[in-house]
Amino acid sequence: MNLRLELNGEARSFEIAGDEPLIDVLRDAGLASVRLSCGIGLCGACTVLLDGRPVNSCLVLGVEAGNCEVVTIEGIQSGPGRLHPLQENFIKYGGAQCGFCTPGLIVMAKSLLDENPDPSEADIRFGIAGNICRCTGYTKIIEAIQATARQQREARG
Amino acid sequence: MDDRVTARLGYSQDVERPGMLHGRILRSHLPHARVRAVQVVGELPEGCVVLLPEDVAGTQLYGCLVPDTPILARGVARFAGDPVAAVAGPTPRAAARALTRLEADYEPLPEATSLDAALADGAPQLHPLDELRGAAGTWTGLRPGGGNVLHTFRLLHGRGEAGFDEAEVVVEGEWECAGAAHAPLEPHAALAEWSDGRLTVWTGTQTPFNVRRELAMAFALAEADVRVISPPMGGSFGAKTFTRIEAIAAALARKAALPVRIVLPRDEVFVTLVRHPARFRVRLGARRDGTFVARRVWADWDTGAYADTGPNVAAKGGWAAVGPYRFDHVEVDSRCVYTNAPSAGAFRGYAATQAVWASEQCVDLLADELGADPLELRLRNVLRDGDRFATGETMHDFHVAECLERVAERIGWSAGRRGKGLCAVMKGMQTPSRSEARIVLDGGRFTVESATTDIGQGRDRSLRQLAACSLGCDAAIIDTAGVDTDHSPFDTRTTSSRSAHMMAGAIGNAARELRRRLADELEANPADVLFVGDAVEIVGSPGTRRELASFGSLEGFGEWVLDGGLEPETGQGIASAHWHQGAAALSAQVDDETGIAEIAGLEVAVYAGRVVDASGAALQNDGSIVMGIGSALFEATEYADGQMLTTTFSEYQVPAFSDVPPFTAEIIEGGEGADVHGLGETALPLVPAALGNALRSLGLPQARMPVRPEAILDAVEARDAR
Repeated sequence: MNLRLELNGEARSFEIAGDEPLIDVLRDAGLASVRLSCGIGLCGACTVLLDGRPVNSCLVLGVEAGNCEVVTIEGIQSGPGRLHPLQENFIKYGGAQCGFCTPGLIVMAKSLLDENPDPSEADIRFGIAGNICRCTGYTKIIEAIQATARQQREARG
Repeated sequence: MDDRVTARLGYSQDVERPGMLHGRILRSHLPHARVRAVQVVGELPEGCVVLLPEDVAGTQLYGCLVPDTPILARGVARFAGDPVAAVAGPTPRAAARALTRLEADYEPLPEATSLDAALADGAPQLHPLDELRGAAGTWTGLRPGGGNVLHTFRLLHGRGEAGFDEAEVVVEGEWECAGAAHAPLEPHAALAEWSDGRLTVWTGTQTPFNVRRELAMAFALAEADVRVISPPMGGSFGAKTFTRIEAIAAALARKAALPVRIVLPRDEVFVTLVRHPARFRVRLGARRDGTFVARRVWADWDTGAYADTGPNVAAKGGWAAVGPYRFDHVEVDSRCVYTNAPSAGAFRGYAATQAVWASEQCVDLLADELGADPLELRLRNVLRDGDRFATGETMHDFHVAECLERVAERIGWSAGRRGKGLCAVMKGMQTPSRSEARIVLDGGRFTVESATTDIGQGRDRSLRQLAACSLGCDAAIIDTAGVDTDHSPFDTRTTSSRSAHMMAGAIGNAARELRRRLADELEANPADVLFVGDAVEIVGSPGTRRELASFGSLEGFGEWVLDGGLEPETGQGIASAHWHQGAAALSAQVDDETGIAEIAGLEVAVYAGRVVDASGAALQNDGSIVMGIGSALFEATEYADGQMLTTTFSEYQVPAFSDVPPFTAEIIEGGEGADVHGLGETALPLVPAALGNALRSLGLPQARMPVRPEAILDAVEARDAR
């Protein structure tokens, strides 16, 4: 069946099976940033934004995303060659080691900050608790998110 | 890091080859069974290929220490999860459907799914030990013990157990550790392709040269006819060591005459490799003034259905259970035991986590008996430079005492030690081992060629910084090549926190040779070669400056070798060229009604010697600590009737953002000329035992790791009844 959606700002059309999960649709479309990890929505590595809401794309059927806006990490940058502030701060504070959880985590963090521009540390810890990171120990990731929140608040004045 | 936050970095699940099929594995659901037949029932989806036991009948057994592993179960399945057949299809969905068309006919056999069952009289013999002992490819140091005891590590120092007659106080205890799952976020993935009788495998692995060797063994090929390319991994922690799914992918590819990629579903990752469950009896004898006299250790390691590195784990765990202390007399029997469980193998901390759980709690058991301060007891006996360890080797560059003092101070040890526990660790580094490196200058840039694989530890950054430091140039003009056994110089493997140290040596020598070649071109003394941006000149003579791009291709090659090893009968010799060392102090709070223990404070100190990349070192150390918290409180592989129950992130709890308490990790640097000490693993083993000792100080000693609320409640009841 035919699936139409907006993917990272671009209108796209796919031929998919009715029971195909969104993660497969996105990976087949070339978005390797959406990671195969647990397949049942427990690790957050496949997190994408669906009409602005964070979802585990392994738990969403492709057909559910019909006529929706889907955003992955490739689509959160401010422009070609310009990183999102979260990405800049992840680099600056050292928020990634193997990098496998990073795309899903950054998408989730963006959603968190969009909803709560002034999160406490506990807000952040619980807000992204659905994204597992096995490498970093989490400290630097939290610092990167806090720094981004601070910078975004300052930019808004 | 840039490629990771922009997601430009690819992993093994992203590797594609033209015409490739997708593979899936049929696994035994029984822990021990004769596999009478596997057949196709019904119609296979179009384009699907099936791999049955008869298709691999001509292949050989393989293994890193003992060739005991078939590509598919050969007549007998030895654990619930053992591969018995496989399929490949044009899409993952077709392969999943094809898998349902396979039917295996099993005849259940008596099971030995635990250490007790495997060691009992009349236990089924899971492998023909006599045959394995004599097999070509079996480690010459293997000492099978009969039955299911694959290997016994023995250590004898002084008069061994007889030396307890010199002790005035003797304590003894038993401790036990559940298995654990590495749970890397990236599942195992491998793509195999044959071309003109030559096999190429893309697989994220910490051990590319070992995988090459094992695949050559399995398919009776020359190693030159096998090529292993290792993309970066999304974490590994030991899960992606030695041959895991590569041989099955290769066999499918050979049958299909097409490339085949397997990406393991998460539940299959859990049964692919585990950390050794283990149990210990430790006896410790001392004089009344607290001076240690003798230690006796009995340890059993559940290595599961196939040996993998089990004998090595039993050995390392054997001397790790001695601890960083002076003893006149030590005796250790550490056994590697086959069971009908998933294979156990390398896991971050490599046997130290389990051994330290027992060893360090035994120290506090003695402290209790003596009425002594656990810190003073440790400082009285801890090894210092010049002391001999139980293997006979002399300690050098040893800083455990300093680590202990620093964490004790930070936790406020002198203000009161109720609820606080200490732990010290010395962990070895793979010895002997060998590393090579090459640095190539071409087109004005340097490329470092090294078989150190990328497991997320900061491999590229560290290699570039090592080269920049050794050459004396800017890291900005240095690149790293990927890992490919056809091109990369040899390295034993990326394990044991050895890579920074070994590559520092190999790259240092490669840089020295390259500087000499540049000096020849400049007709100068190597010491006078000075890099200025992307140019080079003779120091003091800017007129001699030449752009690096103006040289043809030049290269330097270097090797670094560590000798050592232990005598098989006595465990004497060199266990480790140098030691990874650290200490932790943990303060715990317990809710007596729920049994929930919380880490209120955690102070860690690790000795790093010369630090190559400070931010990378801190990240590795933090990650190691959080994994230690997982081992202490949350993580255990669990089974029922030989079936693994913990096969999702719901049953198997890895620490999440909300689970991690505040902690302070100090990385102690060495002085001028200090050695590079790896620290990817050092902190992990510290946390569980420090927690155990903190709980002991509350009258709630714990025998089992991880510590569970139910066990704490039992201990509360027992304490309050006293």
